[in-house]
Amino acid sequence: MPRRVVITAFSILSPLGSSPDTIMDNFKKGNAPFEISPIDDDILICPVKNFNLKDHIGRFKHARYLERGAQFCVASAVDTVKNADLQDDTLAKAGLFIGSGPSLDFGEELSYLNPDNPDLSKLKALWMLKYLSNTAASVISRLTGIHGDNATIGTACSATLQAIGEAFRKIKDGYLDLAFAGGGSSRFSYSGIMAYKKAQAFFVVKKGRDNNYSPFDTSRQGFVAGEGGAFILLEELEHAKKRGAEIHAEICGFNASISGHSMTAPDPEGKYEEATVRSAINDAGLMPSDVDVVSTHGTGTPLNDDMEAELIDRVYGDHKPFILALKSWIGHLTPACGAVELALCIILMKHKYLPEIRHLTNPCHKSLNFVQNGINYPPNTVLLENFGFGGQNSAIVIKPWTE
Amino acid sequence: MDILQTIQEELAELLDIEKEEITPDAYMVRDLDAESIDLLELAVAINASFGIDVNDDEIFLRLLREFLEEAKDAGKDAGDFLEEKYRFLTRERIDDMLNDLQGGPVLKVNDLISYVSWKLENK
Repeated sequence: MPRRVVITAFSILSPLGSSPDTIMDNFKKGNAPFEISPIDDDILICPVKNFNLKDHIGRFKHARYLERGAQFCVASAVDTVKNADLQDDTLAKAGLFIGSGPSLDFGEELSYLNPDNPDLSKLKALWMLKYLSNTAASVISRLTGIHGDNATIGTACSATLQAIGEAFRKIKDGYLDLAFAGGGSSRFSYSGIMAYKKAQAFFVVKKGRDNNYSPFDTSRQGFVAGEGGAFILLEELEHAKKRGAEIHAEICGFNASISGHSMTAPDPEGKYEEATVRSAINDAGLMPSDVDVVSTHGTGTPLNDDMEAELIDRVYGDHKPFILALKSWIGHLTPACGAVELALCIILMKHKYLPEIRHLTNPCHKSLNFVQNGINYPPNTVLLENFGFGGQNSAIVIKPWTE
Repeated sequence: MDILQTIQEELAELLDIEKEEITPDAYMVRDLDAESIDLLELAVAINASFGIDVNDDEIFLRLLREFLEEAKDAGKDAGDFLEEKYRFLTRERIDDMLNDLQGGPVLKVNDLISYVSWKLENK
């Protein structure tokens, strides 16, 4: 019998909050904390308020090597381990799969490293740890006692969904019985903001118009950065049952690919993006007509949303699943978007609710079933897709738990 | 500049502990859980705060056990040998250390202060 993989714990730190109740309250009241960046008043951001790493991990001296995104990663991992309530020997065998971007928090280090006028005395001895992508993994293992198979995956905005997919496959294929997967990100530092501003990927605030971030709207013109982190605990079904774990959802299928089209833009034809979505549905043993909710990548960039809308139309045809764009609520969490959006999907499935795509008034595609008003609806099969810079594609299928 | 106070502040930040825990008599590793990477950072911080060129091997007594072997092999008195190697430590402190080797790493906060004062005097 094939091994089934379920989600038995999760935690989220998002602009909408960290508890499911607060998040649902914000969805229903239409609250999303978008604001002007204190660094650049051309730019909107969607921050997590009052985040303090110490509230999650207590005192830990090597936190000095964690940039803010890695702090969200570590905090949400530690919270998930607490929620999981596992014995130490079980935890030691658990896997750890993290999606991570490079740190874009180029701080004082860069000025000290100017070869024409270096000031090496001000550099930390191990300043490079802030820029190594597996620093968060190292900290998480030390704090929690997770010691199993692990990987830190750096596939841009597809990274955390791929980390979750890798964990899913390791469990499904029998290499692990349980694994933690997720990540964190923040791009609000000066260098983080300038990275995407120079790439012209950002929504730019302009005077004399509504500055609403509206994925899939004809007026959309770039993404708004969010921040936060999320982790889930994936577990083989029988393992979960044996220890009487609460089951939040089932992961049924996953796939990933690389487009080889452009360094940043998606392939307008969406060839490999579409193949990924179809393969994930196939991996779950389902048909496109079984999917009733699609949680889109929906960044609000002109190119992504056009490609994605066409892709959805081709894959699902007349079936017309509900279309969500969770980034309209939390912004784009770049490498962490997959984990955070998956955690939101779990919460929405449990609360049987689909939130509207905020500010969507003139959809860019006429025949898709965009959710334009929040509705009470019990999702049966959710497909979550993410597409990243470099042509990174990933899609996952989750269902509410039933025998 | 108050050397103890500066080192206390640096250690409090580096080790994420309260300043009050950092007494001159506290052992760096046994009491304050300093690890090798913390000592690396501390050397950088002391370098910058006091404007001295810190030798990591000296200030952290890294070669202490090798020196003891060396003294033994050469048939020399351990105390005399260490006194020569660690000019910043008093003979009294060296004798204390020699009686304390079984307990683990002997380095104390006060040894760091002795090193910094000695360096400042001999600048």
